[in-house]
Order: sequence, then C-alpha cells, then structure tokens
Amino acid sequence: MAVDRAQGSGSYGSSRLVLVGSLIGLALAAIGVSILIDHHGGQNLLATIYDALGNTAGAEALRNGQGDQFLAKLLLVAIALLVGVGGIWLLFTGVSAVVERFPPRIRDRVLPLVFIAPAVLLLTIYLVYPAVSTVIRSFEDDAGAFTMANWASLATPPFLEIMRNNILWLVIGTSGSVGLGLLTAALFDRIRRESLAKVFVFLPLAISLVGATVIWKFVYAWAPPSQPQYGLLNAIWTGLPFGFQPIPWATQFPINLPSEMVILIWLQTGFAMVVFSAAIKGVSTEIIEAARLDGATERQLFFGVVVPMIRGTIVTVTTTIAIVTLKIFDIVMSISGGRNHDDVVAVRMFAEMFQFFNDGRAAALATILFIAVLPVMIFNLRNFRRQAAM
Amino acid sequence: MVKRFRTTAALAGVVMILVVACGSSSPTTAPATAAPATAAPAATAAPAATAAPAATPAATATPAATATPAADLPAVPTGYAELDKALGADKPYNGKKVSIQTQWTGQEAEGFAAAIKDFQAATGIVVQHDSIGSSHETVLKTRVEGGQPPDMSQIAQPTAVLAYAKEGKLQDIATLVGADGAAKLKAEFPSTIGLTSQGDKIWSIPTKADVKSMIWYPVKAFAAKGYQVPKTWDELVALSDKIIADGSHPFCVSAGGPGTATGWELTDWVEEVLAKSEDPQVTADWVSHKITFEDPKIKAAFDKVGSLLFKQGAVDGGGPAIVNQDLKTAMDPMFNQDTAAPGCWMQKIPTWYGPGFFPDQRTSGQPSKYIIGDTGDIGIFPFPTISDQFKGVEGSADSFMVFNDRPEVRALAEFLATPEGLEGWIKSTGVLSPNVKVPADWYAGNYKLSVANAILGAGTSVIFDASDLMPPAVGQGSFWTGISDWANANGANTADVLKAIDDSWPK
Repeated sequence: MAVDRAQGSGSYGSSRLVLVGSLIGLALAAIGVSILIDHHGGQNLLATIYDALGNTAGAEALRNGQGDQFLAKLLLVAIALLVGVGGIWLLFTGVSAVVERFPPRIRDRVLPLVFIAPAVLLLTIYLVYPAVSTVIRSFEDDAGAFTMANWASLATPPFLEIMRNNILWLVIGTSGSVGLGLLTAALFDRIRRESLAKVFVFLPLAISLVGATVIWKFVYAWAPPSQPQYGLLNAIWTGLPFGFQPIPWATQFPINLPSEMVILIWLQTGFAMVVFSAAIKGVSTEIIEAARLDGATERQLFFGVVVPMIRGTIVTVTTTIAIVTLKIFDIVMSISGGRNHDDVVAVRMFAEMFQFFNDGRAAALATILFIAVLPVMIFNLRNFRRQAAM
Repeated sequence: MVKRFRTTAALAGVVMILVVACGSSSPTTAPATAAPATAAPAATAAPAATAAPAATPAATATPAATATPAADLPAVPTGYAELDKALGADKPYNGKKVSIQTQWTGQEAEGFAAAIKDFQAATGIVVQHDSIGSSHETVLKTRVEGGQPPDMSQIAQPTAVLAYAKEGKLQDIATLVGADGAAKLKAEFPSTIGLTSQGDKIWSIPTKADVKSMIWYPVKAFAAKGYQVPKTWDELVALSDKIIADGSHPFCVSAGGPGTATGWELTDWVEEVLAKSEDPQVTADWVSHKITFEDPKIKAAFDKVGSLLFKQGAVDGGGPAIVNQDLKTAMDPMFNQDTAAPGCWMQKIPTWYGPGFFPDQRTSGQPSKYIIGDTGDIGIFPFPTISDQFKGVEGSADSFMVFNDRPEVRALAEFLATPEGLEGWIKSTGVLSPNVKVPADWYAGNYKLSVANAILGAGTSVIFDASDLMPPAVGQGSFWTGISDWANANGANTADVLKAIDDSWPK
C-alpha cells in the first residue's frame, strides 16, 4: 500500500500535465477532424487565414472555388497528418496517463486492452463491417429483399469465362513468377557481378502495375499491315524474313491472356528472385559441401538439397504472388478493361458496381474473391507461425 | 480519498471531451460554414463590380422593362418561380452556395464556367464546380452512396439517372419547378426530357447535346479526286467502292477507347443505320427489349453496317483494325491530304470531336492548323439517308440531376434549363443545346454547330443513342464486347454475337 501510494504521487505531477495537455490536444484534433469532414474545409480555412491577414480578395477567390487551390490542399494535408499522427499519439499518451493512475492489478489488466482497442476498433470499422455487409449485400436485390439471383447469375457463361481467366492467372502467373524467380536466383548465385544482374531483374518491381502496363502497351501496339509498326513486338515480328502479319497481342483473344500475364511475371520475378536469393545464401555451406563429397551432381544438389531447405520461403513467396494474381485488376483494366474475353473478377466487380449499377452482383463477386483469397491467407499465416516456431 | 475523487473526475473529463469531440462534428462545422456566409456579401460584390458594373444592375433594377438583358441571362419573368426570385434586384440568395460535380474538364469546363458567369454575378449565388474528369461517375456514386452528394451533377447516360432515381437519391424536378415550369421543360426539351421522366416525375434536365449523324471528311482531297459528298446510302456505297478501287481505304473507324469505353463507335453505326431505315418505334422497342437483338430488323442493321465496313479494303487492316485502333489516332491518316492521298476518307463521329483530336494539336498542344469548314481542311456532311420515310437523327445529351433541394439550387437548375443557361458556353467554346428555343443564330459563327443544328432541323425525329438507354450491363457491357467480337471476325459471326448479347440481358 505504501509502495503503491509512493508510486502514485511520484508520477502525479507529470501525469496531470500529460493529461491536461492531451485533453487540449484531443480538442484540437476534434476541430481538425471537423475541417477534414467539410467538403470545402481546406479552402474555407485558408480563406479565414487570408481574411485574418487582410487579403480579402484572395479569401473571396478561394470561397468561390478559385485562387490558391493547391495551397488549400497542402493545408489540408498538413492538418490530416497532424490530426492523424498527433491525434493517435495523444490518444495513447492521454489514455495511458489515466490508466497509470489505477491500482496496479487493474492497471496491468486494462493497459493491454487500451493499447489494442484503437487498432481493433479501426479494423472493425474498416475491415470487418464492410466485409460482413458485402456478404449480406450479395444476397439482396435492389429493394433489399433476400435473393439468390446475384449468385445464380455468376453461373452463366460470361462469368464462368471470368472465373476461368482468374484460374489461368493463378496458375500461370504464379508459377511463371516463382519458377523464373527461382531459376534466376539459382543462376545469379554463381556469377560474378551478381548484384548488378539482380538489379536489372529487380528494377521492374519499382514500377506500378498501371505504369508497367502502359509500357507494355507500346510493346504490344498494333498498326494495320500497310502502316509502319510502332509496337516493338510487331516491328520485330513483321521484320522477320517470314512475311508474318502483325498480331494484335493485347486486344485479341486468346493471345491477350498470356500477353497480360507476361507483364505481371515481369514485375513479380524480381520480388521472387530477391527473396529466393537470400534464402539460397542462407543454406549452410557445410551441407552443400557434404552433398558434393557424397557425389551429388549439381542438379541433384539443387533439387535434392537447396530446394527442400528453402521450402518455407518458396511457400511464402508462392502464396504472396498467388494472392496478387487472384486480385489482379490494374493490368487488365489498363489494357482494355477486360473487353476482349480477358475479364477477371476484380475488374468485373468494379464494372458491375460503378458502370452497371448492379451492387448485389458486385458484392457477390467481391465475396468470391474474398473466399478465394482466404485459404491462401490462412495457409500463409500458418506457414509464418511454423517458421517463427522453428 | 481526495486522490480517488480526482482520478474519477479526470476520467469523467476525458469521457466528456471524447463525447464532445465525437459529437462536435456538426456543431463545429456550423461555425465553419457560417463564417464564409457572413463574409460572402463582399465576395459577390467584387465579381459584380468587375464583371459587368453597368449591365447587371440595369437588368435587375428594371426587370419588366428590359426585354432582353445585356448579359447571358433570361428575361424576367423567366417562367420559373425561383429563378425570377433569384434574379430580383434584392438578390435574395446572395452568397448562397451550390455545389455541382461534372465530368467536364478543359474546354468543356471553360465553356460551363462561361455559361454560369453572368448568373453568378446577377444573383450572387456562388457555384462551386467540381470538375472531376474521367472518374466522375465513380466519384459521384461514392459521394451519393456515402450520403454526401453534390447539390447537382451532370451525367451522360439516362440509365444512370434512372438508377439513381430508383434508389431514391434524386429530387423530382417537376416538383421543384412547379406545374408551369414542368410544362415549360416538356415544351422546350421535346425529344430529350422524356428519357429521364417517369410519369409526372422528371429526374434530370437535359443540358449538352451531341449530334452523332455526321461524317467528317477531308475537303481538299475530295475536291482533288472529284468525289461528291454522298446524299444517300447507295451513293455512300458507290463512293466507298470507288475509293477502294482507287487503292485507298474509305473509312476510319475506331472502336478502341477512349480508355476502356471500347466499341461505342461501332454500336453508333448500327444504331444510326437503324434510325435511318426503320420507324423510331423499332429503336424504342429494341431499347426496352420488346424486340431482341436477334430480331430480323436489328440483324438487318448489323448486316448493312457489316456489308459496308467489312468489305475488303474498306478499313485499313479490316475488322481487327477497328477494334485495335485508338480513337485518338484513328483519323490521323486523313490529315496528309496536302502531300498525298489520305489513308482514310470518312469518319462518323459526334459533334464533340474537334481540333483537340487532330494530330498536330494533340501532340503539340498548340492550336491546330487544320480548319474545320466546307472550304477548309476538314468538312462535315450529314449521315446519308437510307429510307425516304424515316430520317431519324442519332444524338445524345448530358443532363443535370438535382440531389439537394434548396431555393438557390432550384434557381441554378432553372437557369440551366433556359436557352440563356448555355448561351455563354455556346458563344465561347461552343456547345449544342438540346433546348429547342435556342435561336439558330447563336451557332452562326461555328461551322460544326451550324451543321449539327441543320442536321437536327432536317431530321424527322431525334433518336437518342440506343446503347445509352439500354441497361448499362448491355449498353456499356455486352453490346460493346459483342460488337468487338463481331469486328474481330469481320462480321462472320453475326448470329452468335447477337445471341450472346441477348443472353446477357438482365432478367
């Protein structure tokens, strides 16, 4: 009891300061949030500042939707950062200052909850609630009544074609990236200037999916046979001494499917390679030398020793890329919006939602995507846990 | 004991602050919005003073005496109650704000700004224009579903208007403008208001129209070769054959783009042929699915388009070229007429097409050197007639939806419904108004719009773009996909394509 009181009074002075400070901070944060919620909050605030500075003309221009829009947006960004980062920090310090004043037994039990609560709350608002309401929405018609029609419509040929495309993406896109990544990692392990070679394979990963697709659109571009071919691939193809006709790589089924997958493989191989390369270097040289002494060939060494030893890494990389391929959106959307029998679930979900006004069917597609990704996620998490336990 | 009291007091304080913080979003925004309102009189006084110091006071001071105000404003009484009030000398809505979200950027945004400039000066209403660009529909849907819609918004597809109406998100404009106003709307927008009306309810006000029944061609090359502008379908076929025989390609057609909006230029061809060869009721029945895509009349329209465009040599590269060509570059081969024979000679494309797409302006950003006109470089002729009886003009129109009902929103909506609502735009960057009361001489200085207006005048009926009236899953979905398939196969799979589109029609 005596110890307890001593502790309490010891932290009392600073704790009260923290408490008052964080309360003021929270009030400020609340004002910041109110500015962020207002659609023209940035402009109005900047206008108010201009008014205070005596620049009434600038203030009027802002309120009329003209003037320093960029500055107003910058102001908004600054407020968002302050409120977002500062607000969370204040919340934690403030609440922990309060909890610190509890008796130790209660405090020890409450403190972890206090720290985890904001994260759980945010996850619930932004992840659990939308996920649950999406599933519910997929069973509703436009009037909100229960229906199976959204799900039944997914069994029609156009949607089966979409599912087929997603499966092709999953199989070819993933195996292509992982296979090439493993191959390059193994080969680069044995050359001089390894890091330089790795840089070239890794570089595309720095490009966004949309950016990469735009680049590849120039590679795949098609012009009528009578015109000069400005697309790289068709320029080479028609330049060959066989009299080939130009091929619409990106817009004609079925060639457009592999064309699009090449873009993803180009991007993801670098990621796979870097992770594999690190794992291969982690295989101890004693084991490899022992295998060599036992007379293993290089192929036996790789498939019999190295691959089993980095199995955990292979699984992790494969599942990560598998999730990327299941959710594939950007590439297909940027090539042609999935108009040439190359549609995938995510693109169709977007189209059903925002273009076709079929919210129910969009929700059903979202749910399918969710269900498809789920087992891969669980597998991945289990694998992480097993590795952590090792 | 005292300490414990303090602890609980502090805790209560935290809870109170949190409650206030969470609940304060509306109380704290109120001062934020109130502040501009108080400062606003100065805001609107400034533009009025700089814009038209003489004109606007005169117009508003003696509303009855001035028959035609000097500015781009309708004469009072306008026929709309709230607009009359807003234009009154006392400026009752001075400083009030109306937010409006549109797809319009660049020239279109400039044109819209010109259209509402005098209205803002005369009424003191501040129009906050969010010009979103290509993601407009996505942003709008998110805002509407999120419960924070703009006061008004422009949209291109009547089906989208009806979808929002069905969800109960729209204000009924017939109620907003009253019975007299509604009658006036119906009289001034005879061919477009019905597209977004249901019974007595009017869900949107047509605003910016496009005529699609026009073909762009290289004037000088036509003259050099002695080609005549075709007046009938048979003449068009004959000219096409002649150009093919001369070793060139008559048509530039692109079903690629802009962006992911692929296929519409080809669906326009089919819709045009149908409008020119059958009763308007056929298109209406097609849109409402009373007749299917497999109906002989629809198939005949497909076949007619196919026989023209998929003929050997009609399009450079054939059907696949139509799918592959980007809209932006499709007409480029037409522009080398000064030095050589054009690579293609005719493109059917709506009024919104223009110098911004011409190769020199597109790549350099400088104003194009090519002049649009019968004596210039690029001319426009009306789509040839097919039947003597049915001369439907294919067109489309954007319209304004109203999400929030406030007096100042009513005033702006009513203003935009008047002919003068688009006057500033018509006379600046140029736009076609769907309002039949717009005098033809407003278009006088603009060749493209004059041609479009003449086409509208010569037609027996205006037929709205059929694919924009079909359910979006068909009109912007399977119809586009199907017609791309059709072109890729050079029209060899018409029956399969039509069946696939029919199968996709929402049950």
